[in-house]
Amino acid sequence: MPNEPDEIRNAWQTQPAEGITMSLEEIRRRASRFQRHVWWRNAREYLAIAVVVVVFGVYVQRIPTQMARVGSVMTMVGALYVAYQIHRRASSRTAPAGGALDHCLGFHRRQLERQRDALKSVWVWYLAPLVPGLAVFIAGTAIVAPIPFRYRLLTTGIMFAVVAVVFWLVAKLNKIGARRLQAKIDELRELEQ
Amino acid sequence: MEEPGQDERYHQAAAEYGAALERLARAYEFDAERRRDLLQEIHLALWRSCAMFDGRCSLRTWVYRVAHNTAVSYGIGRRRSGDRNLVSLEEVESTMGDHDGDAAAGRRHVLAQLTQWIQALKPLDRQVILSYLEGMDAAAIAEITGLASGNVATKIHRIKNLLAKRFSQGAHHAE
Repeated sequence: MPNEPDEIRNAWQTQPAEGITMSLEEIRRRASRFQRHVWWRNAREYLAIAVVVVVFGVYVQRIPTQMARVGSVMTMVGALYVAYQIHRRASSRTAPAGGALDHCLGFHRRQLERQRDALKSVWVWYLAPLVPGLAVFIAGTAIVAPIPFRYRLLTTGIMFAVVAVVFWLVAKLNKIGARRLQAKIDELRELEQ
Repeated sequence: MEEPGQDERYHQAAAEYGAALERLARAYEFDAERRRDLLQEIHLALWRSCAMFDGRCSLRTWVYRVAHNTAVSYGIGRRRSGDRNLVSLEEVESTMGDHDGDAAAGRRHVLAQLTQWIQALKPLDRQVILSYLEGMDAAAIAEITGLASGNVATKIHRIKNLLAKRFSQGAHHAE
């Protein structure tokens, strides 16, 4: 019995291989494809920001009330801030080439920590910058609606409530996700000790 | 003596560990097309990482770290499901009986079963068993995985028991 696992090891190591190799040319081609993929991913995020800026830019031109115009400008500034944050964080999301600088547990833990931090901070850098502008914009557009005052108040309240609920839900889901990741991170830390 | 550059280092690693990387990819990915894709990802990651190799660990440790980390990231990226449906060695041990009739059916069948079994394991246990099957000792496995050496020793003990119970008869008969 004691030698039997060795036979399995031997069988494993001597199983036929297909001999798949990659030339340096193929590798470089694949590396540049990866770079293009990263470029397009970033471009999509910037495009979404650009759409927000253009739409609220049009509002600034077309909407008659001062308050809604101020809200539009604030939203545009918030969106540009988000774009800056995406740009700042983009470099840290590319190239997992340093995958061997640390052992597998450490690498896996750091990946989870990065995801956890992203979930925890998305509220601060992705959503919060848009809140003041959207709030002023909603209030500004509701003020001039051609309906009785109490309905205007009610409409504004409902719009605020909807936006608040959506943002709260996003924050809540992120928090739950971060907590789950933290449990896995703690588990990995224990195994490293 | 001049240190080899990125390309030379990659060639050396691919020549020395190419077959082992194929076996590793096989243990991570069932589908042949995706397995090829994963293997290419591993080679790409290895080539890129070779620019950073500083000799603080052996080339073997370096290659296996790159390969396992790339394979785990590839799996997470593709499934977006973390380690759902995967089991630990401890769970396998508690549910597995002695070897069945199928295990004696031949070396190829045993290897297929073993591969399938490894694919169902959680990433960390998969890394330990693959390193063990590639002939590494507990210290080398600890260096690759980052597990404490006591944990590695316990896992190796479990692995040996499981292999003896489940597969060794088939490998023996198949020679």
